[in-house]
Amino acid sequence: MKAIKGKPFFAGIHVRGKKSLACGHRTEIMPEPAEAYISLSQSLGKPAVAVVVKGQKVKEGELIAKADGAISSNVFASISGEVTDVRQLTGANGCSETYIVIKGDGTCEKAYLPPLNGPSAEEIKARIKDCGIVGLGGAGFPAAVKVAPRTAVDTLILNGAECEPYLTCDHRLMLENTDEIARGARYIAKALGVDKIIIGIEANKPDCIEMFERYDDIQPVILKKQYPMGSEKHLIYVTTGRKVGIGKLPADSGVVVQNVATAFAVCEAVEKGKPLYERILTVSGEGVKQPKNLWVRAGTCVKDIVDFCGGEVTEQIIKKDLQTAETDDENQTEKSAVKKVVQGGPMTGLALATYDVYTHKTTSGILLLTKKEAAAEEPTPCLNCGMCADACPMHLMPMQTAFYSAAGDFDTAAKLGNTLACIECGACEFICPAKRPLIQAIRKTKAYVRSKEAPLPDAKPVDQKGRSAPTVPLTEDGKIVEKPVMQKIDESVKNSEGELKNAAVEKITEEVKKQAEKEEK
Amino acid sequence: MDNSIVISTPPHVKSKRTTKGIMLDVVIALIPAAVMGIVYFRLNAFILILTSVLAAVATEFVYYFIANKGFSDKCRHAGEVCKKWWKQFDFTSIVTGLILALILPPTVKWYEVLIGAIFSIAIVKMVFGGTGKNLVNPAATGRIFMFLSFSITAYSVCKIAPVADGSEIFTGATHLSGFLLDGNKSGHIAWLDLFLGTGVAGCIGETCKAALLLGFIYLAARKVIKWWQPLLYTALSAFLSVCLAAIGSKTFEIGLFLDYALSGGLMFGAIFMATDYVTSPKGVYGQLVYYVALAVLTSVLRYLTKFEVVSFVIMLMNLLVPLIDTYVVRKPFGYKKVKTQKEGK
Repeated sequence: MKAIKGKPFFAGIHVRGKKSLACGHRTEIMPEPAEAYISLSQSLGKPAVAVVVKGQKVKEGELIAKADGAISSNVFASISGEVTDVRQLTGANGCSETYIVIKGDGTCEKAYLPPLNGPSAEEIKARIKDCGIVGLGGAGFPAAVKVAPRTAVDTLILNGAECEPYLTCDHRLMLENTDEIARGARYIAKALGVDKIIIGIEANKPDCIEMFERYDDIQPVILKKQYPMGSEKHLIYVTTGRKVGIGKLPADSGVVVQNVATAFAVCEAVEKGKPLYERILTVSGEGVKQPKNLWVRAGTCVKDIVDFCGGEVTEQIIKKDLQTAETDDENQTEKSAVKKVVQGGPMTGLALATYDVYTHKTTSGILLLTKKEAAAEEPTPCLNCGMCADACPMHLMPMQTAFYSAAGDFDTAAKLGNTLACIECGACEFICPAKRPLIQAIRKTKAYVRSKEAPLPDAKPVDQKGRSAPTVPLTEDGKIVEKPVMQKIDESVKNSEGELKNAAVEKITEEVKKQAEKEEK
Repeated sequence: MDNSIVISTPPHVKSKRTTKGIMLDVVIALIPAAVMGIVYFRLNAFILILTSVLAAVATEFVYYFIANKGFSDKCRHAGEVCKKWWKQFDFTSIVTGLILALILPPTVKWYEVLIGAIFSIAIVKMVFGGTGKNLVNPAATGRIFMFLSFSITAYSVCKIAPVADGSEIFTGATHLSGFLLDGNKSGHIAWLDLFLGTGVAGCIGETCKAALLLGFIYLAARKVIKWWQPLLYTALSAFLSVCLAAIGSKTFEIGLFLDYALSGGLMFGAIFMATDYVTSPKGVYGQLVYYVALAVLTSVLRYLTKFEVVSFVIMLMNLLVPLIDTYVVRKPFGYKKVKTQKEGK
């Protein structure tokens, strides 16, 4: 179908894409890791429950952990080998997670489910659940919940916006696996019982738009190059003109949104019976030698991925005293140019403290940012310029949240800033000329409000006097220390984020349970 | 990966724009007006601008040095404190000093400007917490302070021979007090003269509207200010003035629209003072309310007081900004009014 233009939307920001770093590279397959550390919490919701024991032999694609409850997903072995350990490790976000360690035996034995031929809607739904498919856009919402909406839907939207800078994995996937995505979309549409399929693609990917114009049943929509176009609510508005209410699901507006990578995974699951244990991710940034798009199995160490891409870019420091040294080699020492390592996209991703973390099936990128890119500048006083409010796609007032939360008045912060409607896209902090840590303030406020609304048994109250930015300290002798600000996140923020996620998930789980009970009656 | 790695909440990339850059843009936008002021009013204007800017920056530095704890410590490490000050210096005091000088008549004495600039920075800005914390526009308040403290005549009437023709013409501190308000037809000045500032007496930076327009275009192009804000203020205020004049004279002369728009400190105030980030509302709807209120107050007060009131009006509205920010709030995207008593979340 001929591509059409989306509805205009006046907010958001223009970010320099930096997509050219990796988008020209064909996807490569990352070699199997010797050891895979597979996390049990690979999706939004409760962690899965391990069904294997230490010493057990597993095959590639074998179920190793079962979903626990409605909002959870199955986890599969990404390599064949032996389970050597089931243990607790600190994950990328600083929270403790359970990992299953598999030592590979290199046999590549596969244990897939039987392929389906001409499946019915129910069969597809069951297959999506069995294969542990989650939303691959980043949040990792279990796809099985999405394809079984509570309200009637009439449209399926495929999200091919990929509005995050640097990331190109969806772009490559759309170019190289167009047919699979289209078939996967048809399977999802069949499961939902809808026949209208829309794919939203940002205008900076004309080649992808062209590819999808070939299909008669898929309507490509050209999105303006604007961040955050890939946000579910805004994608729905731009492609269909419908607005999703605050705190509502897209299904309430009759729409289901799936990422293109999810559609691809559904196609593989249906046609090959392949469970979701590997995904395509982008390794990019000016700090990495060879930016690449890679097929990576879940549980691969980030260090291996970086090494596979040539490692870190180093900058040479030339020693000052040229007189004594004679050869060039003695003259120079090398220092890593990497200032920040990000898992996911640069606007919403997670900054890593170490390379010893392992990929999940939701990891969409590994970015090695140099000092110039990472822009870790000290915040200056807020000017009240209102640029954050202008940039906010949700029409909120981030500066109010930051102002009141810094004073410890979280209730006013949430009320005036309308913080609970925030989608945490990061547009406000990107545009802020004073470089204020707005997202941090917003998360803190959200955590406070949620902990007040639904106190969890082990919830620690957020520090009332918590300042959003650490001040520059003076040493004992009164000298001013130059210290990069925001080197460490406040522990309380980290913890509260984890709690926040859990609280939100439990809420949804309860709702789903109630719904199920009602249906049974 | 070494120890210098940075961890923070997202986003991990940020725009290149900084506070310093924005303030530098404002200074650049003010340069044409300052240059034209110096061209028209010569040495007087130059001395005033220089005094004002230097006094403003010096006050900020001295305040930075004295305020807060550890004065003796700071004296011992004066060099480092200076370095640190320079690092956080964001050109806001230069902007304040420049604006203050540009809204003064050239007949003002240099020591008056000195006191005014010190007042603007120390009392209006720094005491409230420095950049971003002041309640009212420092330059506007500084002018009002000088206006009330020193001889009022100097600020309301100035007789100075402009460069264009040697003759002494009767005008007020601005063209406004001459023709439009007293109805003195002989004081009528051609629109082109008004626009270029030739043959018009007035404040240093306010006479040459062409220079102001240049600054406006620069600021709007650099997206420092929103282009519709000064336009709304100027146009609405001029239109309301025409309407009010029509009430008095029973004749509706739309031809006076340009006279009102181009005369006095309206354009300067609309472009450089009302749009000051710190003291204007943050949300779009709040800004709309703010500029409409400014325009209404300006035209009504101009009509009633026969004075140039832009600085007063801006200061007055600045004080209402926190109220506007609290009550004029945009509804979030996707907000639907819930019919029941419960607020939609």
